[in-house]
Amino acid sequence: MALALANTPLRVVLLESGGMTFDAKTQALYAGAEVGAPYLPLDTTRMRYLGGSTNHWGGWCRPMDDIDFEERTWMPYSGWPFGRKALEPYYARAQALCEAGPFIYDKAFKWSSDQGPTIALGDGGVITRWFQFSKMRGSVLPTHFGDRYAEDLRRVPRLSTYLHANVTRLGLDGGGAKINQLDVQTLNGKRFTLKPKYTVLAMGAVEIARLMLASNDVNPAGVGNENDLVGRFFADHPIPRDTATLVLFDGKLAPFYQNNQIIHGAIMRAGLFPSEDFRRKNAVMDSSTTIENKTELDDLGKAAVAAAAAALGVDASNATAYSLGCGMEITPDPNRRFTLDTGRDALGLPRLKLHMRLADTDFARFRQTLKELGRQLLEARTGMLRLNLKTRGQWLDGLDWGNHHMGTTRMHVDPRKGVVDANLQVHGISNLFVAGSAVYPTYSAANPTVNLLALALRLVDHLKGLPR
Amino acid sequence: MKEMFTRRRIMFGAGGAVLLAGGAYEGRRLLRKRYAPSPYDDLLAQLDDRDADAQIGEAVLADIDDFDAKTVSESVRARLAHQSLAQAAVADATEDRLLEANGWVIPETLGLLCALAAKAE
Repeated sequence: MALALANTPLRVVLLESGGMTFDAKTQALYAGAEVGAPYLPLDTTRMRYLGGSTNHWGGWCRPMDDIDFEERTWMPYSGWPFGRKALEPYYARAQALCEAGPFIYDKAFKWSSDQGPTIALGDGGVITRWFQFSKMRGSVLPTHFGDRYAEDLRRVPRLSTYLHANVTRLGLDGGGAKINQLDVQTLNGKRFTLKPKYTVLAMGAVEIARLMLASNDVNPAGVGNENDLVGRFFADHPIPRDTATLVLFDGKLAPFYQNNQIIHGAIMRAGLFPSEDFRRKNAVMDSSTTIENKTELDDLGKAAVAAAAAALGVDASNATAYSLGCGMEITPDPNRRFTLDTGRDALGLPRLKLHMRLADTDFARFRQTLKELGRQLLEARTGMLRLNLKTRGQWLDGLDWGNHHMGTTRMHVDPRKGVVDANLQVHGISNLFVAGSAVYPTYSAANPTVNLLALALRLVDHLKGLPR
Repeated sequence: MKEMFTRRRIMFGAGGAVLLAGGAYEGRRLLRKRYAPSPYDDLLAQLDDRDADAQIGEAVLADIDDFDAKTVSESVRARLAHQSLAQAAVADATEDRLLEANGWVIPETLGLLCALAAKAE
């Protein structure tokens, strides 16, 4: 955002809590408590130095679909204030910032056949779609925004970047309708204040909620929290392991399903996704399923493959089994939330407590999508599927997460239902904005980076039009 | 004379081969596992490996509370009266008639045949 504002008359101050590299004492500011369903430690699920969590992301990119913005009767709290069209003008620039190559995604099939066919599936709800990846350097890292854009930040004439500068309070004016001061503190005790015309919080969904809740000197509920929404609706993408076993009767799998491949100048990988129609008709959440490693079948599995292939009249002598991975969307839940805890960090800010919840219905809905994939494989006589997870214990065993923090300052036109409005302005506070996936009302299964960048670039356009 | 001897050897050899082949056939038939007769043997004949399929059937039955073999066999028999098992299996998939066997998603007709195999044991 700071770079996008570079060629405007605006004077921008960028306050970064960390430095240019990882620092354990700064990272420790993230620590917090957790109760409820298992989740990741709050000080390991994000990174606190320039570039933030791009310092540990995997580079996966995929834009959201139209349905992700729609109100769905079967999904409580769904519906963005605008459709995907509002973000479309910004995706190309977001993609460029991610260094993810040409914007291809589902057009990849035009060029992918050189490497092999997509999996033949019967007509239905699951289709092959595509991820793109941020540029790799050597064999290691995707774009780390701090490293990549630090020089560019230095060159912006009207931008001042402060490292190790932690905002510890959002100072509301007496009326509580405007931010008139930011208190800033370093870990070695230096303090200063800023009196910004406008403030954008871009600290990730967890820390944004903490700062808003902790800035409670004027409004006891915190900043922008008159309706007790700040910190609620927290979400991430669960990544259950080995969700299913996919068997292909002929054992042939194009390489782009298992590993990243260069296709038409982009780094791409195919996955299996529920179509928008399937999601609408069957009330299922978004998900992305990837084909992972070859796996061995037990005796029952071998018998099932032999029996199904024989029944379908196909040869399974070369049948090969693969484990499937996934990323899941979850249902918005106001009680999956952060509250302030009793402990304090090294800067004196209250730590957070996460009240984590996961609905069995979300797992069941994803299982429905996997079962549809199994149906389509049988219909096409291509292969078959085993659903490996059924009970809650099985789903939670070894559950990983995307580290995609979302939802704590959700967007809604109605201040009783959202913290920020369609322009990402905090309801009731004229000069405070939120950037990032904290504002997502629903979460898709799409990896958030390219989408939140598009949202942030849209916010930049809005900021450019504000009175100075 | 020599030619006669050769012909006799050939005939003997051929007879021996026939006897050996017949013995092998009889041996396989004798060694083949015998199953107690069931009212749906005509259906179970569709299965390639009845023991393995019965294992699948046990897994199918674990998810079905009220399995009535007579009703099921009549239903499966009706399905297979005018189409092959392969056709029925694809039709099941197309029309979303599926069963699970310990998580394996299989066509309903196959699953029911396997369940009948388990019941016949």
